[in-house]
Amino acid sequence: MEYASIDEIIRVEGGRVVATLFRMTGQLELAEDAFGEAAIEAVTHWQSEGLPERPGAWLTTVARRKALDMLRREARRPEREEMAIALAAPVDLDVHTVRDDQLRLIFTACHPALSDEARVALTLRLVCGLTVDEIAAVFLVPEATMSKRITRAKAKLRANRIGLRIPLDGELPARLAVVSSVVEVVFTTGHHSPTGQALTRVDLMDEGVRLARLLAGLMPDEPECHGMVSLLLSTRARQATRVDIDGSAVLLADADRSLWDRDDIDEAIDLLERTLRAGRVGPIQIRAAISCLHSHASSAADTDWPQIVQLYDMLTMVAPSPIVAVNRAVALAEVEGATAGLEALDAVQASFASVERWHLFHAARAEFLRRLGDLRGSADALDAAVECPHNDVDDRLLRQRRAALDLASGASVEAE
Amino acid sequence: MPEFVALIWEPRAARAQQGPDLVEYMNGYTAFGGIAGHAIRGGAALLTDDTATTIHVTGGQHGEVVMHDGPYAETKEFLGGFYVLEADDLDGAIALARHIPAAWRDGGRVEVRPTMSM
Repeated sequence: MEYASIDEIIRVEGGRVVATLFRMTGQLELAEDAFGEAAIEAVTHWQSEGLPERPGAWLTTVARRKALDMLRREARRPEREEMAIALAAPVDLDVHTVRDDQLRLIFTACHPALSDEARVALTLRLVCGLTVDEIAAVFLVPEATMSKRITRAKAKLRANRIGLRIPLDGELPARLAVVSSVVEVVFTTGHHSPTGQALTRVDLMDEGVRLARLLAGLMPDEPECHGMVSLLLSTRARQATRVDIDGSAVLLADADRSLWDRDDIDEAIDLLERTLRAGRVGPIQIRAAISCLHSHASSAADTDWPQIVQLYDMLTMVAPSPIVAVNRAVALAEVEGATAGLEALDAVQASFASVERWHLFHAARAEFLRRLGDLRGSADALDAAVECPHNDVDDRLLRQRRAALDLASGASVEAE
Repeated sequence: MPEFVALIWEPRAARAQQGPDLVEYMNGYTAFGGIAGHAIRGGAALLTDDTATTIHVTGGQHGEVVMHDGPYAETKEFLGGFYVLEADDLDGAIALARHIPAAWRDGGRVEVRPTMSM
């Protein structure tokens, strides 16, 4: 594997080292601190002496020594002595042990007893190796706030003795779903926050993909894990056209598809096809299929909309939500026309009152009404969209479309 | 082995119930005793919180006892009882506590918290 810098090596190996130290000591903070000191030593040592043959083993050995030193400084209770003995034993870096260590760390950071925010922050810190400063910047909170959030999360884990083991088979599906959602938040945060991005060394979209690959590698028999890699790759492939030069959102229909990453798309499709053969389809694989169909199509017109509608029907059965329902309506309109789309949206509104506060629901209505020639209705819907919470990127697009309607209706008035 | 307390929060409507629903609910506690018995280190059912008295002492440790009729906080749910459970970790405690009837009953909640290790 090629690394850009010592910094990157340390960050990438860090997750494994912390995981191993955590297993050996049972203490997250000790593992993190010991690794931190080893990292400092690595920077100075490697710059003058060059890279070791196995940086991960080097870091683990040094971190282990640091942990022992820290324990000796605090040696009081008998548990510390047990820990010291465990640390003194030869380091087991067998691939299965490392794999188990990493899984234990990920499941610990993503424990459902922690809040959503705490899980994401802890994963970024312990598994991805971002600094607290960087995590704070990405989520637009003060460093002190993020620091407290992470400290509290670690304290809760310690008090409740979470992290002793990997979830039992019976618990795995539910726990895996939680981990998957954390991975997706990491990716989506990178996908959606251009300002936050500038303040980290790390591209969170790439980090999300890396996490997804790590998880799929650790749990190769779980199709949903491979589905996640496919979903993120096919989404990342389109990122160059997500926003235009003016900072306005660009719809799939208007995107310059030549700018999409063909390698990511090909890999996503290939991976998904292999995964689907396992015959254990879940919501993530379904969403990956939808994303791949979009990425695969050479144009909006060439998109296999009927297939996409069917996939949304499946998703409605296994993981229904207002978002799924609205997206299904949009796909349905492509197959059966704007009237069918409007009827579908009416049904969504009847089932999910919360959809009133989602700007994209109103934007979809606006588009269908526009296609049917109801420019007044379309304008009202866009006004409703702007009233809902939304980000700058979508705001620009909404206002552009609203302005375009004024021009259109102005023109038709003149014609009369 | 570590200990966790499971605090039982019940919806106010609950205690008013009579008849077969109440019987089923109480049977749930007997069943819980069967499931978790090996891990139960203590606990008690509490009388309803209209029997509660909240106190504080003014003027320092040796000052005057002030009593207030009722629980500390008037909440939608009231504290109905607790168990002290022995478990390796939170997941182990929750695997037991989920069988407490308040956990699966409408409007009920069980709060699980580790005890301080002395």
